[in-house]
Amino acid sequence: MIRYTLIRSVWIFIVLFVVLSINFTLLRLAPQFPPPDEDQRSLYYERQVHDGMFSVRVEDDPEQMQAILDGDVDLPDSSYYFREPSAANVQRLRIYEPVPIPQQYANWVENIFTEWNWGTDYTNTPVFQVLQRAIPVTVMLNVFALIFYIPVGFALGIIAALKKNSTTDNAISFSVMVFISVPSFVIMTLLVLIFGYQLDWLPTRYYASDITGFVPRLQAFILPVLGSSFGALAALTRTTRAELTEVLTSEFLLLARTKGLTRPQAVVRHAMRNSMVPLVPGIIFSFVGLLSGSVVIEEIYSIPGTGRIFVQAMRRNDYNLALGVTAFYTTISLVSVLFVDLSYGLVDPRIRMGARK
Amino acid sequence: MADKNKNKDYEIANDVPNVDKEKFTFVQQDEKIFDKKFETKPVGYFKDAMIRFAKNKTNVYATIILFIMIIMAIFVPEFTTKRTSGTESHVRYMPPRIPIVENFGIARGYEQIPDQVVDRSTIGTIDDYPELGLPFADRFDHEHIDVSTLENYTISCTSGDHCYGGQGRFQALEAGEAVFQSGLITFEFENNPSLEFIITEVTGDNTDVEIFVEYDNELVSLHTFDSDGEFSVDINDAIGEDYGTFTSRIRFEMTTDSDESFYLELVRFLENGSVVDEDDVIDVSNYSSIPNSDGDLNGAVERRNGELLYSSFEYDRYTSRYSTRSVSEMSGSRFDEIINRNPEACEVVSGTEGEGSWEYAEGCPISRVNSLTEIDRGEITTRIYDVEVNYMVERGFDSIPYHFFGTDAQGRDLFGLSWKALRTSLLLGVIVSFINITIGVVYGAVEGYYGGKVDLLMERFAEIISRIPWLVTLSIMVALLGSGLGTLVVILIFQGWIGISGVTRTQFYRYKGREYVLASRSLGSKDSRLIFRHILPNAIGTIITASILSIPLVIFAESTISYLGFGLGHGTTFNFLGVEFSGVSIGVLLADGQTQIGSRPYLTVFPAIIISILMITFNMFGNALRDAFNPSLRGSE
Repeated sequence: MIRYTLIRSVWIFIVLFVVLSINFTLLRLAPQFPPPDEDQRSLYYERQVHDGMFSVRVEDDPEQMQAILDGDVDLPDSSYYFREPSAANVQRLRIYEPVPIPQQYANWVENIFTEWNWGTDYTNTPVFQVLQRAIPVTVMLNVFALIFYIPVGFALGIIAALKKNSTTDNAISFSVMVFISVPSFVIMTLLVLIFGYQLDWLPTRYYASDITGFVPRLQAFILPVLGSSFGALAALTRTTRAELTEVLTSEFLLLARTKGLTRPQAVVRHAMRNSMVPLVPGIIFSFVGLLSGSVVIEEIYSIPGTGRIFVQAMRRNDYNLALGVTAFYTTISLVSVLFVDLSYGLVDPRIRMGARK
Repeated sequence: MADKNKNKDYEIANDVPNVDKEKFTFVQQDEKIFDKKFETKPVGYFKDAMIRFAKNKTNVYATIILFIMIIMAIFVPEFTTKRTSGTESHVRYMPPRIPIVENFGIARGYEQIPDQVVDRSTIGTIDDYPELGLPFADRFDHEHIDVSTLENYTISCTSGDHCYGGQGRFQALEAGEAVFQSGLITFEFENNPSLEFIITEVTGDNTDVEIFVEYDNELVSLHTFDSDGEFSVDINDAIGEDYGTFTSRIRFEMTTDSDESFYLELVRFLENGSVVDEDDVIDVSNYSSIPNSDGDLNGAVERRNGELLYSSFEYDRYTSRYSTRSVSEMSGSRFDEIINRNPEACEVVSGTEGEGSWEYAEGCPISRVNSLTEIDRGEITTRIYDVEVNYMVERGFDSIPYHFFGTDAQGRDLFGLSWKALRTSLLLGVIVSFINITIGVVYGAVEGYYGGKVDLLMERFAEIISRIPWLVTLSIMVALLGSGLGTLVVILIFQGWIGISGVTRTQFYRYKGREYVLASRSLGSKDSRLIFRHILPNAIGTIITASILSIPLVIFAESTISYLGFGLGHGTTFNFLGVEFSGVSIGVLLADGQTQIGSRPYLTVFPAIIISILMITFNMFGNALRDAFNPSLRGSE
């Protein structure tokens, strides 16, 4: 078991590293868009030099300078220069040139491993600092969604399975079909429209940072939690119903009834536990689904979480930040894969992970 | 069946014990039947599936709805008479109007318009609602307002032309003298002019105010007050004249020992005892502070408790927009083009063409020409028409059209546009699914057929691909290619094939060990023949199901990416098999509607309903297919 866990962890780490490396390299191949503001831009390039992505040199030969200004000298793509007044009142050019991508990559890896430095974003704020603000919001939202949908989904699935082919079951199954089919952003938009604008019960966007008080903050969570969890809720209900229906017809349950257990006892003690085996991995995976689904929810409801940051970063071509956010998502999804793999053995002792056949 | 049993006794089935022994006969005793053909038709794999499919009525209805939607998506954009492209700002944001339903007061093409300043002169002119006033006619044509929905309400205001009531607060900024003056008033002594004042409050114990008018370059005191009250001043008495006219401002001189103020509610100007001008519009622009005797500006005027009368009402956007509107500068070429579209209808019925103003017959898009200006520019003479255009006729409608879903920000018909968008979404779904299925089936077949190391390596590869979050793919593609169709398709394909390959692989593992495969192999079949002739046909039902179910998934992903703004968008078009497809997908429409969700929910609601119905019916259809092809999977997933 320990060996298996170790092997899986190393494997996950390798995948994570490979994915991030590919991501970094390909993003570096794309044209870079420095901040439009002049001061910010020079600061940005200085940061880039510090992080080892660019090299800087000063050109003070007037002929060379003129040639560069006229565009006669071929500078590498995404190079940048600006005039720098010096003491002797002679102008100099400060030229930033990108270092080769393999070297950038080496520096990037070194920065992360030695200083935990993920670069800076558009406003020269360290990426990790931006993430530190955003991650708690997203995680809180998704944990709320998890807390909401797991019990409700189980309950509905059990009800549907126990009252199979009744009106209740049909109603639940139909709602499941609706919520599984309709994209979460459509559900979210309609929720905001109905409860936010038409009925005016709940806020139409996430609370502003100056709002204090527990109730208004909680209210701002209701719609995004509903919007992001309906799909997962429907999926959980459907799987629970399917698994439980299968277990309910099994022979050991018949035995449980014949030895004198009541139906609720048989269902809770025997059927539920057996139907858990495929459900627990599903729930762990659904957390990943919730996280990536919440990108669009955050965008609709103006929630300052990682998803919104990602969308904004992509719109501004702020690739350092985008890379940081994708690193977060990749880590979460790979770690949950690890958990899923390990959970099989925990939920069902008959499954021995990594055992030789 | 029926023929076979024609001469058999049907009673046997129900009450066997009571049947006489003699009635029993053998079906065949002498005849040998092993070479006989079946008299029933064989039920094949697909027919069997069809029978099972048709049994579930809900799914059949869902399938019918789905096919109606697909047919509408194909044909509605082709045959609609309304515009679904370009920009026509005149008809932007038309509310939805649906026939029949409109009679019940829903979707009747009226727009709820809040917060419009009431034109006070209209109060009392409406028959059933004498106490209500209408908005100014230059902004909203009164004939298109639904009077039964008209409401008047007041909000407080401090300035503006339409701010009524309340008091003017005339405040001294510090101790001393503060001087204020009004606008100009012309007094005629013959008409016995008088002024009435209502002062509601004077603050401070030592505040005195004196009122003057200027006559013959001298200030004439009219009245002095130091507390609230109403008083009237006869101008003839105060000045001592009874002939002639003069023009003056009313001047208030206030002396106080602190920053005190007085509140003036009303100044009424009367002639011969009747009100000429009720100046209760105490507007900051009418009254101002002027320098006092020391030359200091020691006063401020502001309105307190003023009321602005607002109205809200439902406004008929259809009759108002599809009616005659004036176009003051229409070029000659445009004018000719409109007239030449239907020259017979454009008969001059009044006036002479080319002179002054003239009118056309009713069927002509241009109902009236107010004036024609000809500008001589050397060789070319430019004509500019000032015309009144009947917008409905100009757009080629016989009657006011119905925009079932309203129109969007560019004045495009949302009904046609929604189907057009659905067509784009569907087409993308089908193309991308086709590519995914091709890749997935080949990949899965190779994996499943060869097994062993090949399988292991290919599975690892597929696993790594499937572990990459879509945000990573999205960021890379958007960075390298930018937003657009290419990016969208690559993102959708990148991980889309994995599901199908898994399904195919499982099916191959299931069937590759069967005896008939072994038989074929021992007869010398090549791998490709085994794969495509013997194993794949067995898996076809599962693969069809997975393919159908992958289309809604692709549409789902496409609309999400387009909604975020990284996929399709306005202005992009793409060509597929010679047909031009719009770059507007349902996701794009919903992203448009999002910005207006509070004020114009219909922009969101209708596309949302359409995509929801499509997704629901598509999934039900897919699930029904799966149940039909593979009954053992019913109810799972």
